[in-house]
Amino acid sequence: MNPRRLIIGACLLPWLAGCVNSTVDQMVFNTPGEGIGDASVVILGRRHASDYETEPDFISCVGSHISSRDESISVIGELEFLNALYPWFEPRTAPLRPADLERLLEHKDVADTFATLQTQYMIWIDGSTVRNDSAGSMTCGIGPGGAGCFGFGTWSNDANYEATIWDFSNRAEVGRISTTASGQSYMPAVVVPIPIIAPVQGTACDSIGDQLLEFLSEHY
Amino acid sequence: MSGSMTTGPERWLAATLLALLLTACGTKQVVVQSEFPPPVMNKLPLTIGVWYAEDFANHEFFDEASGRAESSWLVNTGQAQVELWDTLLKGMFREVVHMNGKPGPGQMNPVVDAVLLPAVDELQYAIPAHTNVKVYEIWMRYRLQLVTTGGAPIAEWTMPAYGKTPTAFLQSDEAAVRLAAIVALRDAGAHFASSFTRVPDVAQWLASLPRAGDPVASGVQP
Repeated sequence: MNPRRLIIGACLLPWLAGCVNSTVDQMVFNTPGEGIGDASVVILGRRHASDYETEPDFISCVGSHISSRDESISVIGELEFLNALYPWFEPRTAPLRPADLERLLEHKDVADTFATLQTQYMIWIDGSTVRNDSAGSMTCGIGPGGAGCFGFGTWSNDANYEATIWDFSNRAEVGRISTTASGQSYMPAVVVPIPIIAPVQGTACDSIGDQLLEFLSEHY
Repeated sequence: MSGSMTTGPERWLAATLLALLLTACGTKQVVVQSEFPPPVMNKLPLTIGVWYAEDFANHEFFDEASGRAESSWLVNTGQAQVELWDTLLKGMFREVVHMNGKPGPGQMNPVVDAVLLPAVDELQYAIPAHTNVKVYEIWMRYRLQLVTTGGAPIAEWTMPAYGKTPTAFLQSDEAAVRLAAIVALRDAGAHFASSFTRVPDVAQWLASLPRAGDPVASGVQP
């Protein structure tokens, strides 16, 4: 194949993405202050539901989004936080209400760890991205002359997440953000399958991250 | 097939596909290995002994395939079980001592306040192919015994533990089951740490210990 065609194909590939619709709702109970200063924020996934699991990758994505937009915000990694306070934030033992934090802080070692981490906001994210409505078919074959696929596939992805923001210093819930995103992906194949993927989860991550920055950053 | 008809890469591709087909029929083996964090809690002022039976220290679960389209599963959790319970007990109790043998009459063991004997009664797993739910799950039921160094029973109770992990792009079944098992082990640690002093027979035994004024005797949750 002509190398120039390959280069052009490689350049066009990032633009071959499906469309995504996204909606964000926000409830603010307490007006956010002027950023979190030297304090830190932790983003945790809720994992109580039996039929889905908030993806660790999504939690990591939201944290990266926040810290990349405002480098002054210190985001504690989810696993780092869970390990530092084991076993009090496992699915079985995690506090369900801000008032439950008081009970945890009765343990001196737990209170000391919180003081070291300087956590001001604790953000719980609950939800998942699911695939729905798959359609189409594709056949792939291999023979002495070569290999290839032919057909067409399409599917939709739906993301639904809700972030609950706890102000650790006041032991109070200060806001809720929910986001939904949906998109249709396509995969036509004439010899080579060409995936046209709708970045549904990434869009939901960006949407929720942007809204969270309003709580956490003095620049937003 | 003559060499002139096929090129090198095609042969490799065909061999890889054949290998994939063959491995799909074999046993999927998962060896669970992980490090576990120590619990952040006030230690109970007790010297606790622990005895891991052979079955527990080398615990494995085997599920034979029910059809040709399915794979058999071998999940080995023994090493991770010992790692978890060692780390957990050291964080929960003032001192932890490994016993020389199973506590009982005539068995020479170090002197401790009580000996814990953990055992895995049952382990079940579920993968998306079984349930149509896009999570991998591991469920375990422990049988825990607390006995004196002479083997006299103090308390015996069962404790469930559960772990699940979502499907992920390019993640194999084995990697997902391994991760679910680690989550289940962490859950076991969390369950034990948060409920040990509330087990009725354990609470009664703790209250009977002659240590007036300390957190155990006064019933304060660690």
